[in-house]
Amino acid sequence: MRGPYIDVRELEYSYPDGTPALRGVSFGVGQGEAVGLVGANGAGKSTLLLALTGLIEPFSGVIDIGGTVLSKGMVREIRRRLGLIFQDPEDQLFMPTVFDDVAFGPINQGVTGEALAARVASALDSVGAGHLADRPGYRLSGGEKRSAAIAAVLSMDPEILLMDEPSSGLDPKSRRALIDLLAGFPHTRLIAAHDLDLVLDVCPRTIVLHRGEVAADGPTVEIFRDKVLLERCSLEPPLSLQGPTAGAGRWIT
Amino acid sequence: MSSPFGRGIGNVNSTRDLALSRSPVHSVDARAKWVVTLALAVTVTSFGKYDISRVMPLFLYPFVLTALSGLPVQAVAKRSAAALPFILLVGVFNPLIDREPMAGLGPVVLSGGWVSFISILVRSTLIVSSVVLLAMTTRPDNLFAALESLGVPSALVVQLQFMNRYIDLLAGEAERTLRAHSLRSPGKGGGIPVLVSGPMLGGLLLRTMDRGSRIHRAMVSRGFDGAVRTARPSPFSPRRDGLFVCAWLAYFALARFVDLPGALLGVIGG
Repeated sequence: MRGPYIDVRELEYSYPDGTPALRGVSFGVGQGEAVGLVGANGAGKSTLLLALTGLIEPFSGVIDIGGTVLSKGMVREIRRRLGLIFQDPEDQLFMPTVFDDVAFGPINQGVTGEALAARVASALDSVGAGHLADRPGYRLSGGEKRSAAIAAVLSMDPEILLMDEPSSGLDPKSRRALIDLLAGFPHTRLIAAHDLDLVLDVCPRTIVLHRGEVAADGPTVEIFRDKVLLERCSLEPPLSLQGPTAGAGRWIT
Repeated sequence: MSSPFGRGIGNVNSTRDLALSRSPVHSVDARAKWVVTLALAVTVTSFGKYDISRVMPLFLYPFVLTALSGLPVQAVAKRSAAALPFILLVGVFNPLIDREPMAGLGPVVLSGGWVSFISILVRSTLIVSSVVLLAMTTRPDNLFAALESLGVPSALVVQLQFMNRYIDLLAGEAERTLRAHSLRSPGKGGGIPVLVSGPMLGGLLLRTMDRGSRIHRAMVSRGFDGAVRTARPSPFSPRRDGLFVCAWLAYFALARFVDLPGALLGVIGG
């Protein structure tokens, strides 16, 4: 039987000041699976995503991506397979135009000329942002920035998408468009989010992190119905599972 | 009301916007523009410290570039004026040191110090406006790629690229810090007490570094290996770019070795 595509075993990491951020985190994600990563602020979600990409060190434990164990020598190979989408899309848009930003990764992979143009066009079209190619990143709306940031990662043709709070700062319509987009991706996805409704819509499975440890790992619906677990981890059930009165307000007429 | 930092960010961003527009000057290869700008700077600085009239014909370069690029004259002037305080600082003591009478403007006699001060002002304005035009008519990535292909060490070029990227991050953080301070200190006239400014500056630096490291992580995660490559390299066109370089270098040489204003006055005076 094939093992998980992302295999994390006994991962430990402490911040430079000595505060433990990840404590013995172990889990696996199958190829093509979409997994939600939820937890309160400071639970270790962003740190875990950075560790998977080899962007923080030193850590102890094992990170195995598709049979390749993350190490100093293999970090570039691992990063070629992973696409990390940051919480703030502005951190990812640093080139003069959206085209240049989306082309940044493929150029570093050695793609040039017409192949590069085709790769960029395809990535932008897949997020419905083809019309933004010549716009500077700092002139885009929040939703457009998010789309451009996702395209900038998709253009590298990653096998795995790691997303940190993908819906933060988006208006309801842009958020819905993002959910539809994420749900349609064939990639293996690990999505860290406070937006539990997004996780419910996109990820059949969820991992709950609490103070750097895995507090639960299972079907999303079961986890989000476990009020005791959510309460212990400083979370609340998503609005769509809170019953018919949830979120109901009084109409002002 | 926006702060100087807010206006600073606006200027940086609008300079980038203008650099992305299209015109005959924008389409000239960045290397050609660098070479001509450097040649202009060398020509201007090669004149004697009291030369003013001989330098004036070189203003043709920024005038022609502004006209052909379609850039608003005001935008070029505004950005060039930003360097004025520094220029004034360089020459402000000349009139005090060199008091020898040198030139007369009607009843007014100018000392050597005043003439050299005006010369510094004229020459610096010429060089600064040419550099501003270089930045306003060239895509930033091509500007830096051209430097590298002209032989500037890669490490230095990457430093310049990061500085270009982070300058608005620093200004943005400063803008937010000042806004937060002014909102919590009503009626204080916007001034920052010395005791507060130290920790505020420290916090500003730390937050900017934090933001910078996030951007660096985003770059590294997309294969950044120390060299920023451009998606749209501009091939050097011998016809267009070669002509641009040769024509301007020839004109600079003419202005350097022939007294054009004197010759012009001679022609007018018969």
